[in-house]
Amino acid sequence: MTETYMVEPDLEFIKEVGLLGAEDLKKCYQCATCSVACPISPDHKPFPRKEMIAASWGMKDQVVKNADIWLCHNCGDCTTRCPREAKPGDVLAALRTYAIQEYAVPKKLGKMVNDPKKLPVLLAVPVVLLLMVGLLLKMFGIHWLNFSPSGEEIVHAKFFSTWLVDLIFIPTFFFAIGVFVLGLKRFVGDIHEEALKSGKTDKKKIDPKGFIEALVRVIPEILKHKKFSQCGENADRATSHMMVLYGFIGLFIVTNIFFITLYVFGIHGPYSQLNPVKWLANIAGVALVIGAALMIKDRLTATEQASTYKDWFLVVLALLLGVTGMLTEMTRLGGAAGLSYTIYFIHLVFVWALFAYVPYSKLAHLVYRTVAMAYAEYTERS
Amino acid sequence: MDKKYGVYICEGCGIGESLDIAALSGVAEEEGYSVKTHSQFCGEAGVELLKKDVAEGTNTIVLAACSRRVFFDTFRFEGCITERCNIREGVVWSHPRTEYPKLTDEEKEDEDNFDRVQMMAEDYLRMSLARVEKVKLPEPYAVENFTRKILVIGGGITGISAAIDAAKAGYDVTVVEKEKYIGGYAAKIRKQLPFEEPYESLVPPIIQSKIDELEKYSDISIKTNTVVARVAGEPGNFTVTFKKPGEKIEFDVPYPLPEEMKVDENGKELDAEALHEKYMEYNKGRRDILTLDPNGEHFGAVVLAAGWTPYKPKEGEFSHLGFGDIPDVVTNHQFEEIAAKGPVVRPSDGKAAKSVVFIQSPGLEKSDVDFDYAGAVTSLVALKQAKYVREDYEDGKSFIFYQHMRTPGLTESFYRSTQNDPGIFMSKGSVASVSKNGDGVFVEAEDTLLGDRIKVKADMVVLGTGMVPATAHEPVVNLAYRQGPAFRDVGLFKGYSDSNFICFPYETQRTGIYAAGPVRRSMTMEESMEDAAGAALKAIQCLESTSRGVAVHPRSGDMTFPDFFFQRCTQCKRCTDECPFGAIDDDAKGTPKPNPARCRRCGTCMGACPERIINFADYSIDSIGSMLKSVQVPSEDDYTEPPLRILGLVCENDAYPALDITGLNGLSYSADVRFIPVRCLGSVNVIWIKDALSQGMDGVFLLGCKHGDDYQCHMVKGSELASIRMKKIGEALTSLALETERVAQFEVAIDEYDKLPTIINEFVASIEEIGPNPFKGF
Repeated sequence: MTETYMVEPDLEFIKEVGLLGAEDLKKCYQCATCSVACPISPDHKPFPRKEMIAASWGMKDQVVKNADIWLCHNCGDCTTRCPREAKPGDVLAALRTYAIQEYAVPKKLGKMVNDPKKLPVLLAVPVVLLLMVGLLLKMFGIHWLNFSPSGEEIVHAKFFSTWLVDLIFIPTFFFAIGVFVLGLKRFVGDIHEEALKSGKTDKKKIDPKGFIEALVRVIPEILKHKKFSQCGENADRATSHMMVLYGFIGLFIVTNIFFITLYVFGIHGPYSQLNPVKWLANIAGVALVIGAALMIKDRLTATEQASTYKDWFLVVLALLLGVTGMLTEMTRLGGAAGLSYTIYFIHLVFVWALFAYVPYSKLAHLVYRTVAMAYAEYTERS
Repeated sequence: MDKKYGVYICEGCGIGESLDIAALSGVAEEEGYSVKTHSQFCGEAGVELLKKDVAEGTNTIVLAACSRRVFFDTFRFEGCITERCNIREGVVWSHPRTEYPKLTDEEKEDEDNFDRVQMMAEDYLRMSLARVEKVKLPEPYAVENFTRKILVIGGGITGISAAIDAAKAGYDVTVVEKEKYIGGYAAKIRKQLPFEEPYESLVPPIIQSKIDELEKYSDISIKTNTVVARVAGEPGNFTVTFKKPGEKIEFDVPYPLPEEMKVDENGKELDAEALHEKYMEYNKGRRDILTLDPNGEHFGAVVLAAGWTPYKPKEGEFSHLGFGDIPDVVTNHQFEEIAAKGPVVRPSDGKAAKSVVFIQSPGLEKSDVDFDYAGAVTSLVALKQAKYVREDYEDGKSFIFYQHMRTPGLTESFYRSTQNDPGIFMSKGSVASVSKNGDGVFVEAEDTLLGDRIKVKADMVVLGTGMVPATAHEPVVNLAYRQGPAFRDVGLFKGYSDSNFICFPYETQRTGIYAAGPVRRSMTMEESMEDAAGAALKAIQCLESTSRGVAVHPRSGDMTFPDFFFQRCTQCKRCTDECPFGAIDDDAKGTPKPNPARCRRCGTCMGACPERIINFADYSIDSIGSMLKSVQVPSEDDYTEPPLRILGLVCENDAYPALDITGLNGLSYSADVRFIPVRCLGSVNVIWIKDALSQGMDGVFLLGCKHGDDYQCHMVKGSELASIRMKKIGEALTSLALETERVAQFEVAIDEYDKLPTIINEFVASIEEIGPNPFKGF
């Protein structure tokens, strides 16, 4: 006989996930159509039926600590077929947002990232930060920030030194990594504990070697969007998602290559358009812009599925990031100095926002879903 | 009435092609009747022909054509007996020539050959001719001192609604209420369930507006603090005695003697006079039912809207749920009382009840049965009360554990709105236990949607107990009927006052008394108000039918009624006892006193009477007896291999329509069976069976409706009574050296037409196996 467990509904939790896009949660009458309709749900203890009841009963721990909410790719097949319009797909998305906030410290920042009213403040942070650090250094005679860059050629580093960029961005990057590490530590422990409790696995302890092997097996599948392409309703989204993902990966590679080029070989940009790395950069940038634009179009035309602030925050940020990046380059090549420098600054603001807010935004799924999928692979959940 | 006969044979619908019409006409012509044929009697020309004959004096028509169930109005002529001889559905359609080929000219030459289908049609015509010889045109029964006043028992929301509805239709109404104020339970609640679009939120009680509306009608009088001591007489002329609750008066209704008092010390049945003496002694201080109260008030019909009482759990009944031991475990009724006073608080310490668990099923012995007398309304009340908790406390939580969540019709919208409340949690599941937890409680539930075993902390627990109809405890109507003051307990209705819940709402087992509201089943106020309109209309139908001397229901419009030939009555009381509707009283000597306006014309008394002295104008022992005697039973004198003759007595409510549908669908059955429709199997007198067998018929079967828990009998007990009588006839058959298997009874539902051929053919085959009746040819 299974253990009797205490159910203490958390009304606050129900209210909060409601605001995050799960406002139809309580309409569920547990017919389990969703679990049957889901193309990627495992056969044993499938989602999202059990998440629907647990969430509507305010059982926060059971859903937030549940790796299954991350296995969901928001195909929307469940939402389309739900006879009560409870929108299980949107509910799971809301639960993920809630979970991201739970695991990212400080929680307060997580709340802000998901609150539209706080957007101006969040964007003001990098503006102030970039200028303040630059101006502060100026006071000490380090002129990494130069409001009137000289020379024929437009070189962004002359305006905003690469040193200054890296001085700010490298700590930001590691800050994000740090937040993720802290979050993941709890996350992995929690999902394992929940899986044991609900009988999804009988592996008592996580063996790190096996887990990493599972991760290695999962990553190619993620890159191929193997699960995503099984979706019925939102199968189209796989393409735009892939473009954005590869765009980011490409840009990340480019950034690292140029980082090494600069600091190891001391070769300063701007680099030639004939440089193959530059090709990659341009292709990645275009992919990001087109992918993000497609995502926005999909969201605007999709009537079945709700798009909430967390979704817009990410897709618009991705688009702006790509657009400002490309425009910076184009204005530079076009010789519009003032414009180019301005756009470059805006671009930096968005890049910083992306980096700094990653652990709190929807983009954190990059980490949590990957880990959850690796965990599912590791525990042979199918 | 001098009968002037006319026999008409229709040739349409395939009859002309299948049958030898000249030979068929010959059957009637031989007896001296004039016969007319037509290609389509239901057509304009055909009807004109009949009308012309009627105008010229024909008053007894035998129309051999389609079933009487079709074109009823076309062939109904004022002051005229119309006998419909069913040769279409009953002969031609159910015996297609593809299966029963006509005799060829060559075959016809050999007299040992016979045409089964033609024989069948000819027998049916003979039967019809025999019947019209015996039946009379009915004359209406007139009730003395007829009144159209309606009495409504119960001044709750149902009674008030019924009174308003009846008054709107122009009838005088009196409402009696046993409490000091009208309004009933509806006046004692915090809020009521939604009763109109969008069916989403609770509404303040509407009873006051109903009372205000009631008081506007001058035709309605209200008697509070009053109960009915007795209702005597019959529809159209009930004499009602009122009294104060608890009072003892001489016109309190007397009760029948219990069975054990009806015998003497030796267990021998007492005679009628001794019984009456004992009965008067048993009811000391009360007048006999036949004594009318000179001060009684007159009413024509009664609407019984006596309502319900909250179920009172027996000592220790729900001890596993803490009821009785933990003061904070209450019934939904007790919870409503608390909620009506203000924010919900715990009975134990008066502290806020912010977490409340509603239990919808006692869950004993792993059963998923809900509380007794529960229903959709108890589900809805749980939803309503769950909302109270949420209304009272922002952080309030309500849990509902149910086995069944019944929210019929638009109340589904209310369910949805409740479900959407973030603080209301519902799950199917059975509650295993309720235990103390400090000053609160723990509720443990099994097999829930959340897992096998869960536990919830609560301040209070509410049991979804049911609504017990007022008629479960006491008769309420207090009828001065020989069968007793209450509706007969047929062991199926758990005290609800209905006769057949599904088919005949509002009908009780007593004509003229129409039930509405929770005396019929647990129901919401919305349903009760609607129910009230139905019962009020039924009461009006009763008054109007009775005023014309015709039956109300289910034989609406039937003008016949049982006619007793008292000189030969042996005072055996069988008719009084067996009448399913208590229509017959008897006097001190045991002589029956029929009350035709109470009668539903089923003929159960006719079937019961051993002296065969009860008959109807158009349905009698003699009319049916003559019909079956007119069937030709061929013997070996006639043919080398004579066909069998089997009689089928068919209930005309369900089985006969099913037979018609069998024919309509071209399904065939044995052509050796002759059917006679009867009003109800309860009206089948065993003499018919004896007559059939003694004139050489090989077998007899009864075809009637289902009895038992899901009975479908229009007359409640007809087919059941018949089956008891059939068991008894077995002994008589044995004494005649006849096999008991020659008589059988089958149950069939109206939609089971497709099963009929098998039932009939299997019976015929079984008779074939037994062999022909040895009395044949005597």
